Amino acid sequence: MAAVIETCGLSKVYGDVTALDSVSLSVEKGALFGLLGPNGSGKTTMIKVLTGQVRPTGGFAKVLGLDPAKDGVGVRERVGIIPEQESPPSFLSAMEYLEFVGAVRKIPDIAEKAEKWFDILEFGDKKNVLCKDLSRGTRQKLMFAQAFIHEPVLALIDEPLINLDPLMQDVVKEFLSDYVRKGNTLFLSTHILEVAEEICSAVAILHRGRLLHAGPVADVRAHGEHLPGFFLSLVRKGGHA
Amino acid sequence: MHSTMFGSVSFALFPVMIFGIVFMGSFLLPLLSAAFPAGDLAFLAHATFLLLGFMVGGFGLLGNEMMNRRFGQASLLVYSARSLPLSERSIFAHFVVKDIFYYFFLWVLPFGAGYIAASPFSGVPLSRALLLLLTLSLSFLLGLCVVFLLSSLYVRSKTACLLAVVFLGVAAGIYTFWSGTNPALLFPPYLLYSAFSWMAFLATALAIAVLFAASVVLFSPEGRSSARTYRRVLGRLAKMLSFLPDSPIVAKDLLDLARSGIGIGQTLFSFLIPLVVIWFFLSLLRGSLPPHGLIIIFSLTTGIIASTIYTWVTEFDSFGPYSCLPVSVSTLIAGKMTTFLVLQALPAVFIGTVATLSSGPELVAPVIVLCLSISVYAAGVMAYLCGLSPSVLVYDVRVLITYLVLDSVALVLLAAVSFANSLYAFLSLFLLVPAYILVRAARARWDARDPAGI
Repeated sequence: MAAVIETCGLSKVYGDVTALDSVSLSVEKGALFGLLGPNGSGKTTMIKVLTGQVRPTGGFAKVLGLDPAKDGVGVRERVGIIPEQESPPSFLSAMEYLEFVGAVRKIPDIAEKAEKWFDILEFGDKKNVLCKDLSRGTRQKLMFAQAFIHEPVLALIDEPLINLDPLMQDVVKEFLSDYVRKGNTLFLSTHILEVAEEICSAVAILHRGRLLHAGPVADVRAHGEHLPGFFLSLVRKGGHA
Repeated sequence: MHSTMFGSVSFALFPVMIFGIVFMGSFLLPLLSAAFPAGDLAFLAHATFLLLGFMVGGFGLLGNEMMNRRFGQASLLVYSARSLPLSERSIFAHFVVKDIFYYFFLWVLPFGAGYIAASPFSGVPLSRALLLLLTLSLSFLLGLCVVFLLSSLYVRSKTACLLAVVFLGVAAGIYTFWSGTNPALLFPPYLLYSAFSWMAFLATALAIAVLFAASVVLFSPEGRSSARTYRRVLGRLAKMLSFLPDSPIVAKDLLDLARSGIGIGQTLFSFLIPLVVIWFFLSLLRGSLPPHGLIIIFSLTTGIIASTIYTWVTEFDSFGPYSCLPVSVSTLIAGKMTTFLVLQALPAVFIGTVATLSSGPELVAPVIVLCLSISVYAAGVMAYLCGLSPSVLVYDVRVLITYLVLDSVALVLLAAVSFANSLYAFLSLFLLVPAYILVRAARARWDARDPAGI
């Protein structure tokens, strides 16, 4: 299968901190790919580099055939992104924010599509509330809606379930599985290992910016291990390396 | 925060630079005294520090929203009232005191110290130099506390704030009418500098303390308890503005300014009130200037202050909220610049009104052109040097020196030619060329870097 994301020796250094250290991986079309790692392991930086928000200091990446370092806007046009921290503009209402996204992305019938997302994520009663007055969970729903409203073939999402109640987590997990079943690709950054084990087809494990493992979840299970145990032993070993 | 952003050395050099400029500038005093009476120069210095206080003093506007948006680090401090046994008001008072010291050591003290250090060479008695440091500090504090009080009042009740401003304006007008004297001459720190007395000093210090205490008491740290709702406006506004480039960004910025109250707050506290006060101060120089010199100087001053509207539209959001959208830093700078240009209607109307009332209709057009040209040029310089973070990066010494040099050259040249003939003010239109080049260069320059704020 064709790779929709490919990185080779990808590095990112912020001053004295190496956030990514020569990471090479490949994500195939139709995968639900989980990027796992402890806090500060480089997961968020990876998403920022892949979506052209920051430039790598070494190596290269290809996302849907584009180099995000050279054409970040082109990459962001084609993909959906949920950033680490939900940050819709404070003084727009939820509906206006989706209208704004629609205007920037040139999405036709944006009002209709927005209504659909208010229904799916059950927050239609909040659509006229200013974003700054929304609860964190509702803001997370809004960021989820903006990431998928243009029906991208690839989405890079950072901790999408955080701040959501268990019922909504279930709705979102179901949506993500369905999204991938339709042939789209999902790059999911999380440190909730149980979720990754439940929905991901393949995972990569980052620790201190280095790639410790990349491969199908089925391979982990084939060795008689569960993902959480595998992850913990790998990171602990990596931590002492 | 500033030292983290551009290195502690560059930040530490900022007060050193102010000291150096004033120290060197003090040697020009004999030359300047030949053109202006010594009293006028001291008056201008007090007016400048009053203005600095005005610019810093809008603390009352820092409700929860501003804390959330502008001061990430301060938010942690301010919100510690929720987890520690401290009241929000006491934390806020500490925050304000901290900021007063911050600006005092950044601006006021280096200015006074430069003047004091030069006093043995400039022929100014040390006691006068020390007195100037004292009265400039009082000017700064007075400006800060007046605006702090008005902005706290504004957040509590816009009507009460408006009434207070109208009352002050009417009182100044009545005084001028009855006495025929400019009320700026009653400015306490300047009176103190002219004729020092301990009683006058104590009265001024007491007035500052009362204003400060009243401001803290009136300050409302609590945000609105209920969620605000709005009907859909963005789409219609963006459509109305569709003749502009990046109209969704412009529409969003205008809604930000309107709904946050910051648009009116900034207009009042960072534009109208400082400029009205500056007018009273500058009008004292009328005798030392050509017939139309006062409105020319005022137009240039208004232009520089109008250029800071670029900071109003950039302080709302960093690149963060746009990072998940197909928007580049370059597009964002262009969008903010378009919003800035739309908002230039405010200085145009203001300076046009002042010119009509003070100098006659024949000066309206040249003065508006002069004001807007310098404003657009200075904003272009700001965009080039600071990108989307002008209110933070201006404290980088290299940035500030470049900004001052580039703006000063334009200001001096335009003042000189416009003094000679007011119609020459139209020459300022040529500034639009470098302004355009600077904005283009700014877009390329800041696009080539990792954006701040994500």
